[in-house]
Amino acid sequence: MTPGRPAKYRQLSHTADLAWRIRGASLTELFENAGGALISTLTDRRFLRRSQVRDLTVDSPDLEALLVDWLNRLLYLFDVEGFLGREFKVVELSPQRLRARVRGDIFDPARHPEKTAVKAATYHHLEIKRTHRGWQATVILDL
Amino acid sequence: MIKLRQIDDYRWEIPREGKMRTRGLIFASQAMLTKIQEDQSLQQVANVATLPGIEGPSMAMPDIHWGYGFPIGGVAAFNLEEGVVSPGGVGYDINCGVRLLRTNLPREEVEPRVEDLVNTFFNNIPSGVGSRRKDLKLSMPTLKEVMRYGAGWGVKNGYGSQADLEHIEAAGQIPGADPEMVSQFAMDRGKDQLGTLGSGNHFVEVGYVLEVYDEKLAATLGLFKNQVTVIVHTGSRGLGHQVCDDYIKVMLRAADKYGIELPDRQLCCAPLTSPEGKQYLAAMAAAANFAFANRQMITHWVRESFEQVFHMGPKRLGLELVYDVAHNIAKVEEHEVNGKKKKLCVHRKGATRAFPPGHPEVPEVYRETGQPVLIPGDMGRYSFVLVGTQQALTETFGSTCHGAGREMSRHAALKMAKGRSIVRELAAKGIIVRGAGRATIDEEISEAYKDVEQVVNVTHGAGISKKVAKLKPLGVIKG
Repeated sequence: MTPGRPAKYRQLSHTADLAWRIRGASLTELFENAGGALISTLTDRRFLRRSQVRDLTVDSPDLEALLVDWLNRLLYLFDVEGFLGREFKVVELSPQRLRARVRGDIFDPARHPEKTAVKAATYHHLEIKRTHRGWQATVILDL
Repeated sequence: MIKLRQIDDYRWEIPREGKMRTRGLIFASQAMLTKIQEDQSLQQVANVATLPGIEGPSMAMPDIHWGYGFPIGGVAAFNLEEGVVSPGGVGYDINCGVRLLRTNLPREEVEPRVEDLVNTFFNNIPSGVGSRRKDLKLSMPTLKEVMRYGAGWGVKNGYGSQADLEHIEAAGQIPGADPEMVSQFAMDRGKDQLGTLGSGNHFVEVGYVLEVYDEKLAATLGLFKNQVTVIVHTGSRGLGHQVCDDYIKVMLRAADKYGIELPDRQLCCAPLTSPEGKQYLAAMAAAANFAFANRQMITHWVRESFEQVFHMGPKRLGLELVYDVAHNIAKVEEHEVNGKKKKLCVHRKGATRAFPPGHPEVPEVYRETGQPVLIPGDMGRYSFVLVGTQQALTETFGSTCHGAGREMSRHAALKMAKGRSIVRELAAKGIIVRGAGRATIDEEISEAYKDVEQVVNVTHGAGISKKVAKLKPLGVIKG
C-alpha cells in the first residue's frame, strides 16, 4: 500500500456491531470499497474466485440510503444465492440510483473461511461526506 | 453526559427534560454504571422518551448497550390511540429468543459423551455464516404457512408435539401475522434458512443445573440440581432482518408523513393507528412466527441428536420444553395504567417478558410460579432461569433483562483472543465448543460479555424477576 494513502476501509470501535469507515477518491470508488468492506466482514476475500457475475440496480430516496440499500442487496444475494463479490465495478451512480457489475464466487465452506455474519447495514450514524482526499462514509453493520 | 438520579440500589432515573415526554428508568447497579455510561445507550433511553404516546417511563434493563434508535435492553410501551410502533424498538433479529429444554439425565451420564453430542448437534443443525438448508427447500405457500402458524406449523409437520406449544410464549404463534405484508425479498432470504442456527451469538448449548435457588419453583419447572439441560438461542434469520430493513424504509417516510419529530433517524416509527403501523405489526408477527418455527425444528434435531448418541428413547431422555421466550419483539398486551386497564404496544428489544403468577397468559402449569424467564450468559460461564413477578408487571410492563450484553467490540475481542486457543481454554474448563468459524468463537469470548450473574442479580434485587436456577455449559455449538 502506498504510504500516506488512506485505507479503503477500516473498522471503528463499536460494542455489539461493526462500524466501517470507508474511503474513496470518487463516489463510485467509495461505493465499490463499501462492497469490499462488507464482503471482508463475511469472509476472506482473497479466496473468492471471479467465476460469477451479477449486474445489480439499486434505487433509493437519497445517496446515504443508497449506500445502505447497496450493502443490503449484497447481503440478500449472499443469503439467497451464496454469492460473494470479489470485484465491484460501479457503472452508474446518481443520488438515487446505482448500477454495478459484481464479479465473485458462490460461498463454499470448504474453500471460504467463515468470519462474521451480518444481519444488515443500518442507518445508524450513517454519513457520506467529502474530504480533502475525496469521499468518506461511515456505516454500521448489525451483526 | 446524561444526568442520572439514583433512586435506590438498583434503579436510576433520567429526569424528564427537553423534548422527553416521560422520564427514563434504568435498572443497574452502581458498579455497572461506569461501563454503561461509556457508550451512548443512556442518550438512547432519553431519545425513546420523546416518542409520542409513550406510557410509563422509557426503560433500560441492566444488560443495556448501544443499539439502533432504541438501546439493546430497552423497554418502551405505547398506547394504541396516540402511540407509535418502531422497528428499531424490536431489532433486526425479530423474535431472537431462547428456549430451555430439560432432561431426565444427570450430568454424570452425559459428561463423558459431550464431545459426541456436540459433534452430532453440529451435523444435524446447520449453523454458520452461510447456513442454509439444502435438504429442506420451502415453497412459497409453505413458507407462508410457517409465518401464519409458527411453532404450530412445526408440530403439524412432525417437529415436536402439541405439549411443546403450551410451553412457548404466545403458544409459538403471534396473532395477527400476515405473510402478505412480508416482502418477496424477505421470503427469498428465509426460504432456505428455516431450521438453521445462524451465527454470531446464536448457539445450542448442553449444560447442567449447577445451583438451585428456590427448590419449590425449580420443582414446578421440572428442574433439579445436576440435571442436564439444553438451551437453544436463535431468531428469524434473514427473513426477519429483511422485514426490519424493509419497514425501516417505510417508517422513515411515515415519520415524515405523520409529522413525528425524531431525535435519531433509527427511531423511525408510525402511529399504531396508521396503515404503516398495522402493516409492520403484521409483518413482524409473521417473522416472529418463523423464528418460533425455527426453534421448534432445531429442538427436534436436538432430541434426535440425544437419541442417536445415547441410544435412548424420548421417554427415557425426557427432553421436555421448559419454556421459550422472545427477546426482540413488540407485543400488544393489556396492562394497568393509573388504575385503568389499557391495551399497550410493548417494545422489548433485548428484553424478556416476565409475567407474574396468576397471569392469564402464563401457561396453566406455571400459573403458581410465574412465567419462566431464560437468561443466557456467555459460553464460558453460566446462564440463569428465573420467573416473572408482580413487581415486574407493575413497574416494567412485565419485562426483565435478556442476557449478558456485550461489553467489548468484536475487534477488541479478536485482539484479546489473538494467539490463544479459545477452544482449548474452554475444554480445559470442561466446556466443549464447536463453531463453524474460528472468528465467531474468538469474537464470543467471555471477556467480551458482561457477567450475566451481575445482570440477573440486579433484576432479582429490584424484584422484577426471581432467581430459580443457575446452569453451567458442558458443550456448545456456535455458528
